[in-house]
Amino acid sequence: MLSTFYVIRSFWLWLPLFTEPAAAKLPVCQGATAVYADTTIVIRALAGLQYEQTRIVVKPKTRFRIVLENADDMSHNLVVTRPNSRMKVVEAALKMGTEGARKNYVPNLPEVLANIPLLEPDHTDTLTLTLDEGAYPFVCTYPGHGYVMYGVIHATREPKRLPSVEADPYVPKRTGAGDHSAHQMASPHPYKMTFPALYRTFMPECGPAAIAVGLPADAAVGQQSYCWDAGSCRLRYVWTGGFVDSYGHWEGNGNRLTKVVGDIYYNDRSGFPFRIGNTTPVPQFRGYELVNRYPKFMYSLGGIQVTELIKAVPGKRGLVRQFTLSAGKQPVTFLLDQQEGVQYQTRINNVVASAKNGRLLLPAGTRQFTVTMLVP
Amino acid sequence: MLLTLLVSTLLAVAAPADTLTDYYTVETIPTPEGLIVETGGIAFMPDGRLVACFHRGEVMMYNPKTRKWSLFAEGLHDPLGVLPVSNNEVLVIQRPELTRIKDVNGDGVADRYETVTDQFGMSGNYHEFAFGPVKDAKGNLYFSLNTASNGAGIREEIRGQYDSLGRQGRMYACVPYRGWVMQLSPDGKLTPWASGFRSPNGIGFDAKGRLMVTDNQGDWLGTSKLYVVEKGKFYGHPASLVWREGFPDIDPLTLTPEQLDSMRTREVVAFPHQRMAHSPTQMVADLTGGKFGPYAGQLFVGEMDFPRLVRVMFDEVDGELQGACVPFMDKVGLRPGNNRLVFAPDGSLWVGQNDHGWVGARGLQRIVYQQGIPLDVMAMHLTATGFDLTFSQPLDEAAARQLANYAFRRFYYKYHRAYGSPEMDSQPVPVTEVKLSADKRTVSLALSELKKGYVYELTLGKLRSADGKKKVANQLVCYTLNRLKSSATATVHTKP
Ligand SMILES: [Cu+2]
Repeated sequence: MLSTFYVIRSFWLWLPLFTEPAAAKLPVCQGATAVYADTTIVIRALAGLQYEQTRIVVKPKTRFRIVLENADDMSHNLVVTRPNSRMKVVEAALKMGTEGARKNYVPNLPEVLANIPLLEPDHTDTLTLTLDEGAYPFVCTYPGHGYVMYGVIHATREPKRLPSVEADPYVPKRTGAGDHSAHQMASPHPYKMTFPALYRTFMPECGPAAIAVGLPADAAVGQQSYCWDAGSCRLRYVWTGGFVDSYGHWEGNGNRLTKVVGDIYYNDRSGFPFRIGNTTPVPQFRGYELVNRYPKFMYSLGGIQVTELIKAVPGKRGLVRQFTLSAGKQPVTFLLDQQEGVQYQTRINNVVASAKNGRLLLPAGTRQFTVTMLVP
Repeated sequence: MLLTLLVSTLLAVAAPADTLTDYYTVETIPTPEGLIVETGGIAFMPDGRLVACFHRGEVMMYNPKTRKWSLFAEGLHDPLGVLPVSNNEVLVIQRPELTRIKDVNGDGVADRYETVTDQFGMSGNYHEFAFGPVKDAKGNLYFSLNTASNGAGIREEIRGQYDSLGRQGRMYACVPYRGWVMQLSPDGKLTPWASGFRSPNGIGFDAKGRLMVTDNQGDWLGTSKLYVVEKGKFYGHPASLVWREGFPDIDPLTLTPEQLDSMRTREVVAFPHQRMAHSPTQMVADLTGGKFGPYAGQLFVGEMDFPRLVRVMFDEVDGELQGACVPFMDKVGLRPGNNRLVFAPDGSLWVGQNDHGWVGARGLQRIVYQQGIPLDVMAMHLTATGFDLTFSQPLDEAAARQLANYAFRRFYYKYHRAYGSPEMDSQPVPVTEVKLSADKRTVSLALSELKKGYVYELTLGKLRSADGKKKVANQLVCYTLNRLKSSATATVHTKP
């Protein structure tokens, strides 16, 4: 679970999707467990009622310091309890009533060994502690949080004898934050996944109004999927090898992006492809219709209504994009994204029509055209 | 004679074993296997089926008669509200847009997803939820847009205009209309309706058709609140001001809290943090005409963190709305996470639950009124000297006349940039006089002092019904005193 967060964090760092990547303040990490050579341990409270670090290993009878950084948008505290006392402390905090807020929801119990008071967002505080051998829960006792927002400090001389993080009974289990291979076997919905399938979701390298579409698999090339941007009304990229993994996005607060499953083989670099006369129109997305589950996107370019339906090229890596246009008085140009290794076949009103210098000229009144893109 | 005295003494001493579960039951609705029941919206179709949308993008129908679920639509991005149009068409709000979803070919499954409006910005920040839509009597739709959270940044590619002046602060509005309630007229005109919201995960109407929004404790919200929303008004969270027409090119946070305070419209009801709510959600007016029990015309509000709802009783003081709140169905079988509420045609109250990354629960329950009238506070009205409390039943006279059975405390929440607020200037307020009406249902309390701008928290003691069989269902009542009766100062020392 810890390692997953690190993976995601570094993902942000090398792929600058966020203009302000969260500062990387990572403790020493060995595999899935943080083992602290240092005596200062940084624990971050994150969105989704969780501590970023859920298992900490320290030496017994050695003084250490915990720094709690509240990186969430709600308040949290951190209470270290005697072994096996987490729920007792959590329940007692819940019963504090109005007292609670004044006392940081820290009940006056011998089971409470140390605490960091309730921190507002962006605040930091510390505690120092020395523990004998044992497993000491730490927990946020803000009402309701303690059922899911906790972790454990193992004070042990033999860290190698600890169970794996996955098997550690003191570590919260979060579905979706770990290995998703099991999930991908089963459908994440109360029905079988049927392709074509569509998700409106947060996709990487796309505007925030993204649409991911998984097409039916093909014996020769496997499954092809694409990402279509409902903000800028255009195809963004295409991949083979699967559809998407949305678990990371669904779990927690939705901060994590949906992941592409497979390999992107085409990424559009030319921007919006339509020109009306000499101008680049500003498209307006109007939705989609499902035709045998294939989305037929609808958008308008000024007065011209466009539909776009995308299918896989049978047996080959590539897509067929079928467009229709409503009647217009001006000629329309469709720009083909000229990239090495990308081949196009184009048809206007069902008749082969070739593009010149990557420009497919659609005479005024053109009602239908097709762009087949092959990326062998 | 002695025996009678003994029995009545016993009755007076022993608390009646009377609980809300004698009047209301909670049922859990089975949901399909494999459905993650993080409920974003629930409503009833004209034909009586329940339509519900869920976090992973499903829109499903449930037939209460056959108890069968079916899939209507899928693939939506965090749908958080649904409004039926006809038996084969619904409006759903999802992160990027308001969508009209139709089953055109009549096979029971939607095949057309039309963008009704997407004319608002998305920075890609996870906290930019969209809530609604709700429809007024004239056919206008309203929806609300959450601000972004600086718990995370924004995407490289955004939708809509970027304004760095709106990017400051804990919850921010760097793209258009974040922190706004929007109106969409029947002819398709989108109007930014009101600003100053932080996390308005509750939009609806009261029994009189007034547009209402709940907002969540946080920066600039000392506690969670219920607002009456009117065109052009600003409700207190500053980030959204950058999108107000005519607002100067400044970071709203450079205004002083006093300046912002003078600009804002206060809540009609504050939900005291912890005691009443942590995270209020959707509200629904009881228009069942008694099918749901004695609370007809009142407002029920969902609550995420506690296993209860909150009931709201309004009071009109010199034409301005304010009012009181009371816990409802507290710890009697309802789960926490009560995100969405809707009355079924049979008058039962359906509750869709959610735990989306916060405290809460998943699932669907319904509250069914059985019979009888619990002893409960039905109205709380400000008077010149205190409050009139009206109960659902005649009260036991002896208990009702005891001053000790009414413990008042008053406090206020600070309006400031920091997250939440402690209870400020908390003081007990002695009750100086109790009067009981002739029908024994209304208690008139005189308080030693009334001050506007405070929450008056009343803890009721051991009140009983006149027949001794019922105890008061909820002992906590919190009244938000924004305004004193204009006659108050004139009449406070005058006795008729
Ligand atoms: Cu917490």
